[in-house]
Amino acid sequence: MNKYTLSSQFYIVLTNGECSQSHLPDRVCYHDGTISFCNLSPIEVQIVYLLDKHQQMDVHIEIDKNTEVNIIESRILAKDSKLTRNLVIKEDAIVHLFGENDSSDGEILEDIHLFENATCQYGYAELSDGDFNGIYHYYLDGEGAQAKVRMAILSKEKEDKHYEVLIQHNKPHTYGQMDNYGVVKDEGKLVIDGIGTITKGQSGSASHQNNRIMVFDEKCKASANPFLYIDEYDVKASHAAGVGKIDEEHLYYLQSRGLTKKQAMQLITYGYLQPVIEVIDNDMLKERFEKALSKVGE
Amino acid sequence: MSTLIIKDLHVEVGDKEILKGVNLTINGGEVHALMGPNGNGKSTLLSTIMGHPKYKVTQGTMTLDGKDLLAMEVDERARAGLFLGMQYPQEIPGITNSDFLRAAMNSRRDTPISLFKFIRTLDKNIEDLHMDENLAHRYLNEGFSGGEKKRNEILQMKLLEPSIALLDEIDSGLDIDALHVVSDAINSMRSENFGCIMVSHYERMFELVKPTHVHILVSGRIVENGGYELVEKIDNEGYEWIKEKGIEIDNEEDFNHGIILGACGKKEQLNNE
Repeated sequence: MNKYTLSSQFYIVLTNGECSQSHLPDRVCYHDGTISFCNLSPIEVQIVYLLDKHQQMDVHIEIDKNTEVNIIESRILAKDSKLTRNLVIKEDAIVHLFGENDSSDGEILEDIHLFENATCQYGYAELSDGDFNGIYHYYLDGEGAQAKVRMAILSKEKEDKHYEVLIQHNKPHTYGQMDNYGVVKDEGKLVIDGIGTITKGQSGSASHQNNRIMVFDEKCKASANPFLYIDEYDVKASHAAGVGKIDEEHLYYLQSRGLTKKQAMQLITYGYLQPVIEVIDNDMLKERFEKALSKVGE
Repeated sequence: MSTLIIKDLHVEVGDKEILKGVNLTINGGEVHALMGPNGNGKSTLLSTIMGHPKYKVTQGTMTLDGKDLLAMEVDERARAGLFLGMQYPQEIPGITNSDFLRAAMNSRRDTPISLFKFIRTLDKNIEDLHMDENLAHRYLNEGFSGGEKKRNEILQMKLLEPSIALLDEIDSGLDIDALHVVSDAINSMRSENFGCIMVSHYERMFELVKPTHVHILVSGRIVENGGYELVEKIDNEGYEWIKEKGIEIDNEEDFNHGIILGACGKKEQLNNE
């Protein structure tokens, strides 16, 4: 518990609502629960959230106009703790985030607001140990705003996990896409709710989602639920959702080459979650994701 | 030198008995050709030796160097020295060939192979088998042509160095050049430490990889044993003559039309039709 590695030059560690450690670059500052990014050239900052049992923390992050930021997040929550995070991405800002969940239990509520022509690409590695509830809501509040969400989830050893990803289009010509992939094994439980909402008048918008879960044994419970709420004609929308069992022939093939069942399942899990990485066009996100997924099942 | 001994093997799929008492012994240094009409149990025999869960052994024994194969899981059989080159290799997205091959090689080693040695070994074999240079980074068999998949099976066999290999129609889907590459690769492995059973419908394959023993499997039993002359007889006459011996053949309609010629069939036979 509470183990994290600081891998970026710039970082901030928030423990139970207080800043316990930080080294931030010019024009990036933390004050009273708010981190503000006004950097002139692109930077990478690591944010670590540490919450002890029964603790709560509210964090506000604001990315200024025309700012470009790579954010690496480590989320380490203990039982019955709750992180509420509000992220505001101003006009023309570009944000890439990689969030690694190393919690042992807990809940994260996240609201992300994107202003005009703001872009956010978010990769979630949800491989934590224990039950978890993640509510990630994106609001495209400015014309031309874009949100792309990729999530890889592993639910194992009777863990009960639930994720809700909402992308709501509140302005015309906005783009939202989510790809949520999950693997459930050892009597785990996983529910993914993907919600795409296009409100009235938001013509020229596009909402796409893809939710897929693979289950390893019959005692697993899994559900991938796509929701599309479209209140405008001139839009593009698509959804795909599926829950499937692991292919026994794949297992047999790998085992026939000498891999144990455990090794074979580990490779298959990695392979199943791999498409989440493939669609990412940012090197930082890609590298982090690959590293996180390579630990699956170890 | 390894020895695989199969005695009185009976196998069921669902409620149907497919193998009805197969006896076969394969030693290192030997190449056994297993022939027979479609649907008579050749693939079943190979898959059963490897341990596919679909096939239920109801009677008989199988041992590799005295060890009871029936008591071993699929992966244990592989690590004991068996290898099955499959007729329809699986496509597994998301897993790169190199990750898979390295894991497979490490599964039978005490210390993991060094990255340098792995790459060097892999590159050499990819070159020998005239395979795509990017193969290592491609996903396991995904989007591979039929011929590429078969060459990938042979690549795995070369890297894993089994003591007994089971090759199930490894020549199907291969063009004539690829057939030469694959047969060269199999021949290069021939030694006292390598035994092999090959299933094929075509004389061409056995012309290139000369078997030491030939068996004909019909209706779940081996009904003829011999040498290369049996391959030639089947190539010329098909399997009709078996019936004259009073042996019933399963799924007769499948082969009554004679041997289906693939890309590796004999040209003169094509002309005679």
